[in-house]
Amino acid sequence: MVHTTDLRRLERDAFRKFYDDGVFDLFLGAMLGLMPLAGQVDSWSNSEVVRIAAYIVIYGGLVTLFMGWRRRLLRTRLGDFKPGPERRRKIHVVRLVLAGSVLVGLVGFAIGAVAPAADWSVTDLEFIMPIVWFVNATVVFSLMAHFLDVPRLHIHGVLFGSALLIKEWPGALWDIEVPLGVAFGAPAAVIVGIGLVKLTQFVRDHPVISATDASL
Amino acid sequence: MSDDGPIPPKQVDRLVHEPARLAILTNLFVVENANATYVLQQTGLTWGNLASHLAKLEDAGYVKVEKSFKGKKPQTTLSLTSKGRRALIAYRERMLGVLGPVVG
Repeated sequence: MVHTTDLRRLERDAFRKFYDDGVFDLFLGAMLGLMPLAGQVDSWSNSEVVRIAAYIVIYGGLVTLFMGWRRRLLRTRLGDFKPGPERRRKIHVVRLVLAGSVLVGLVGFAIGAVAPAADWSVTDLEFIMPIVWFVNATVVFSLMAHFLDVPRLHIHGVLFGSALLIKEWPGALWDIEVPLGVAFGAPAAVIVGIGLVKLTQFVRDHPVISATDASL
Repeated sequence: MSDDGPIPPKQVDRLVHEPARLAILTNLFVVENANATYVLQQTGLTWGNLASHLAKLEDAGYVKVEKSFKGKKPQTTLSLTSKGRRALIAYRERMLGVLGPVVG
């Protein structure tokens, strides 16, 4: 009945279970895989408003779809809980890390915008930006892995970070053009694959708890 | 018996000592609150067992049971009271006192 008396471990294992559903991985994979769509959206319309609206619809829809699915899957199979103070502190740190990552993204965007005026060559940017992207992704995902106690996020960080390297470096170093869909699609496919395996295991190991708690 | 001597097992809180209730209490100890499905899944108990042990823990003032509705679905939220939290900590110390001389 009581598998362990180590309460810290008990809490960690219980919390980690909520990230073993695979849908979280599928969401990350879809996010990465759909990034090349940004280039397509830019070609749909010259209007900035239309483009921003398209981004909001695509990514908002993605978040709503996956998080709704995930919530339903977890609630019916694992139940629901409010974490203790220590875990809430860790979740808060993760939110700060994600906010910091957005800031890094904005700085990257700004560098891209001022680069022509600063007379930086396209080759410099093609070389430097993937490194910034890679470092940002691996650091952010590693911190998430640490604070959420989900070790496979380290792998996701490397896969996320490698997308821009795959896209830009062959061109900058050897003049080889890698299609955007391949550069982002390949690592995204690995993350989706991991997600599908995790989802299958999760559904197999955690059946829906059918009875309601009305009996209590 | 000296202060450092072993603590008699009879001084152990039997309400906490029962394995199913201990599982419920330890699982609630590490969260702020949880619904009944969560505790059921974590402990591996049946609904009937969970209900019966929760009633005892609620009667002792160790667990707070709040019933509400989420839409049309009944929702039971469970949390450890400060009395329950103290009881589990005291139980842990008692058990260390009982087993300490054996494993130490």
